[in-house]
Parts: sequence; structure tokens; C-alpha cells
Amino acid sequence: MVDLHDSSDSEELDSDEELQRAFARGELKTGLNYEARAPKQIINNVSGMKQKLAELQKNLDWIEQLDLTNGPAPAPGGQEEFTEDEDVSNNDFKRELRFYRQAQASVLEGIPRLHKLGIKTRRPEDYFAEMAKSDVHMKKVREKLLEKQQNIEQRDKAKKLRDLRKYGKKVQIDVLQKRQKEKREMLDAVKKFRKGQKNKLDFLDDNTEKGKGKRGGGKNQDNKVQQPNKKRQYKNQKYGFGGQKKRSKQNTKESAADLTGFNPKVNQSRPGFNKNKSGNKNKPNKRGNKDKNKRPGKSQRHKMKNKR
Amino acid sequence: MGKRSRKQIATEHDKNKQKDESDEIVLAPVISSDEPPLKQAKWTNKERVLVFSSRGISHRARHLMIDLRTMMPHSKAESKMDRKDQLFVINEICEMKNCNKCIFFEAKKKMDLYMWVSNCPRGPSAKFLVENVHTMSELKMTGNCLKGSRPLLSFDKEFDEHPHWQLLKELFTQIFGTPNHHPKSQPFFDHVFTFSISDNRIWFRNYQILEEDGSLAEIGPRFVLNPIRVFEGSFGGPTLYLNPGYVSPNEHRRLIRKQVAKKYIHRVEAKKSLEDRKPEYTYPSDITDDVFVTIRPDK
Repeated sequence: MVDLHDSSDSEELDSDEELQRAFARGELKTGLNYEARAPKQIINNVSGMKQKLAELQKNLDWIEQLDLTNGPAPAPGGQEEFTEDEDVSNNDFKRELRFYRQAQASVLEGIPRLHKLGIKTRRPEDYFAEMAKSDVHMKKVREKLLEKQQNIEQRDKAKKLRDLRKYGKKVQIDVLQKRQKEKREMLDAVKKFRKGQKNKLDFLDDNTEKGKGKRGGGKNQDNKVQQPNKKRQYKNQKYGFGGQKKRSKQNTKESAADLTGFNPKVNQSRPGFNKNKSGNKNKPNKRGNKDKNKRPGKSQRHKMKNKR
Repeated sequence: MGKRSRKQIATEHDKNKQKDESDEIVLAPVISSDEPPLKQAKWTNKERVLVFSSRGISHRARHLMIDLRTMMPHSKAESKMDRKDQLFVINEICEMKNCNKCIFFEAKKKMDLYMWVSNCPRGPSAKFLVENVHTMSELKMTGNCLKGSRPLLSFDKEFDEHPHWQLLKELFTQIFGTPNHHPKSQPFFDHVFTFSISDNRIWFRNYQILEEDGSLAEIGPRFVLNPIRVFEGSFGGPTLYLNPGYVSPNEHRRLIRKQVAKKYIHRVEAKKSLEDRKPEYTYPSDITDDVFVTIRPDK
């Protein structure tokens, strides 16, 4: 609150004696006394102004002056944006809106009036004339507007991306967790089965059924069991569930006693044994006798065994 | 094309003449493209406004002045006036330039901008303090208009309420309105000047008419005029009106500084006044009242 009364640089400095005398007379009261300010000069020469106005006025047709007096136009939505009495001088938005509405009202009144007088108000498209602002300037204005718009769009996009990423991350975490859970359950079930707690192998069937139900609905697949691709299978075999089988034991008691892979013609013959027999002359084989009786290599035998 | 013999040409001409006389066709007047176009109607409302400033003007105010000159094709420019000269010299300058209205920008302390508007030979005139100046070249002003097209002038309803507003309205109409058929004016109407009254000040806006149904874009410039005084004569004479709510910018700055400086003193005075206002006894009580009061022990 500005203290307008506190003027230490007044012309009449009341001395203490004067104040005492005034107090004795009863003109002053106790407490703080403020020096009243001289009343402000008010000049409002109404008659003079009216006379000057009459002198100044030129009584011309409206077309010469083009002045219109009106209040603000009504808002298009029908809502009242501001009341008449409201002081809008501090509310920037409302104030500008009020000026805008006033201009609109004038336009809505003035343009039809000009049309009635038979004057064209609209500039035709091919009328090129000097504008108040140069083309260069208008280009800058347009660029600025575009920049603002682009900024808004970019911010929106970034926001959307952030939200999407958050959502996507959530989905990813869910899927990973689900997979881990399934793996854990599977392992537990297998362990239980191995330890003999579970008799049936039903957990295997359930999973494939569940999987089929989800994935096989849309696809037109046959009865083939869904398997990962060959590469994945190989890798699983090599690195999954227990590591390498290569260096683990391959023979058991039964496999050692297994004589199904034994062909006496191949394994129990001496080299050159069959040379003199009658059948050989008729059929000269491509490879030669040696190759016919040759025992296949280790990997080939391994493959043959696994195929069986 | 060979030369035709004279006889042949003569006979052709005769033939055409005969044709005209016989048919009695009245040919319409032919307008050739070499003729100058129809002359505009005469410019009768001779208003000329002199727009200039004093020395020491800031760049923003200078741009405002240039914008006003652009907006008003009936304006004339003048070089800066020395501050030494008195204000009534402006009347002579106007007469020399054959102007009957004047807008004079006065800059003080390179901070405050005052605007004088005047009807030059006989008055009246008015002095304003210009605030909140925004020029046409600000990038937020997106509208554009034909250079020199006539503006529609829109006044607030409050301009009809009081005599000083009425006088100012008439003055503005004559100054800011471009005369009809002015040689530098353009034929179409595509912008509107708005004068509104708010907070005892005049707010000026300039809008481009985008569509006839009322959509507008601001062109600029925009400023606020705080009326100080209205004089009877041009740049002088008795005061017709004095704005009671006007605080000069110097005084305004002084008050702000004082407020800051007096903070401590105000606090001390407030404390003192509280002490003075405080009564010695809040309510009358008798000290002998509590002689027979017995304090009972709490149960």
C-alpha cells in the first residue's frame, strides 16, 4: 500500500511550538497525525468541450468518415464471455477478446452498409498491390507459425513414444516372466517324474495342447507338433538341459550286447575272401571289392544307430 | 501483299459509306486501350496529418511512428524537432506543410513516450502518455493489409458517454480515417482500427478483415493511450479536461522507490501506532475481586 500522505518535503514545516498551541486549542488529537494532501485539481469544462466539438465536427456523409460505435459482438457459442461491468483491464485474455468482439461487431455492421452503397469491399484474387508488410516479412511470420506447430507436434510425438515404450517394456517384462515361470514348472515336473513322484507324462501333453490352442487357431497347420527350427534344436541338444551329451557315456549294458548292427558279410570276412567266388565276375562293381565290405566311419555308425 | 491502286481503295471506302447510310446502324462508341482509365471521383475531404517526433526517441517508438505513417496514406513526415523549440512552433511547421492535423511524439528521458494529437490552426489538442507499444513488425502480428486502404473505425460505446471522450472520438475519426478518394488510397476495405476504453485508457488495435463474416487477424501496431490533458488550442491554450487518475511516470517511479525505501520506517510506525491504539486496560476490573477466590484442588 503506497503511503501518499507521508510527505516530508512539504512547504510548511510545522514547528513543535505551533503543534503544541494547536493541541492546546483542541485542534489536534492524540495519536499519529497525518498531513492531508491538497485536493487534486479537477478540470472538466463540459460546455467548453461541447463548443469545441461543435466547431470541430464536419458534417460529412458516413462514407467519408467510416466511423462506427458499438459494443462487443455476441459470442458464437452463445455463452457469455464477460459481463459488461467486469473490469477486464488486468485479465489479458478477456480484454483482448473484448476488443476482438468489438471489431467483429463493427465489421458485421460496416461491410453490409458499404455493400448497400454499392462499394466493393473484397479484394479480388488477381488484384496485386503493395501491402503494408512486405512479402519477406510475411514469409518470416509464416515460418514462425509453422515452427510453433511443428514444435507442438514433435512434443506430442515424443510423449506418445515415451508412453508406448513404457507400455512395450511392461509387455516385454510380462512375457519374460511368463516364460521363466513355464520353464520352472516344466523343470519341476520333469524332476518329479524322474524321482518317481509323478507317473504320467501329462505335463508334456498339456503344454503342447495349450500352445496349439493359442497359436494353431489362426494358422492352417497340419497335425505336426510345433517344434523350434533345426538350428534351435541342435543348439538345445548341445547346450540345453544338462550340457553336452557328447562326452557322456554312450554305451549301456544293453547297447553293448546289441548285435543288430552286426553284418557277418561285412565284419566277419577276411579281405580277399570273396574274390574267387562265382558271383563276382558277373557284376563288376563301381567301387571295387574293398569298398563293398568296408565298415562305415564312426559318425555314420552313430547316425545309423540313432535313426534306429 | 501488293499495293492496291488508289482507285480500288476509293471505291471500297465509298462502298462502306453507302453501307452505313443504307443500314442506319448506330455503332457503339469504341474504347481503345490507349486511353487512360476513368478518373476517380474527386477528393474533397482534405485532411493531411503531420506525423513526426522530437529528439531522443527510442527505436520502438520510432517504429511505431513509421507504422502509423504506413497505415495512413494521408500523412506527411517531418524531421525531428529540437527540444529547445517551444511547442507552438509545431503550428507553424504544420502550416508550412499544409497540414491541418498533427501527431507529435515526444520522448522524455528516453523512457517515456508522450503523444500529442492536435487540430492545427485552432485546436483542440490532447496529450497522452503512450504505454504498451507493440509494432507491426512483431512476428505475432500475423495479419496484412493493402498499403493505404481505408480503415473502418470502431469505437467503444463508452466514447458517447462523456464529453471529453466525445471530443477525442471526433479528433481520432478525423485523424485516423483516410479521406475518401485520396490519391494514395486503395479501393478495398480490409482492415479496421479499434479504439476501446478500459481502465480509463484508450486501447488501440488494428485488425485485418479475413472474412466478411467477421474473422480477424491482428496486423499491428498496438498501443495504449493514457489521457493527460485536453487543451482548447493547438499545443497550448486553456485546459478543457484534466485526467484526475493520471500519475506521471516520474511520480510513479518515485512512489515505487519510496515504497521500497520506506519499508522499515513503515514497520516502525505501524508498531508505534499499535502501541498508541492499544488501551491500557482491556476491560475494567477491580483488583479486590479475587480476594475471596479460593483455588480448589483438582479432583
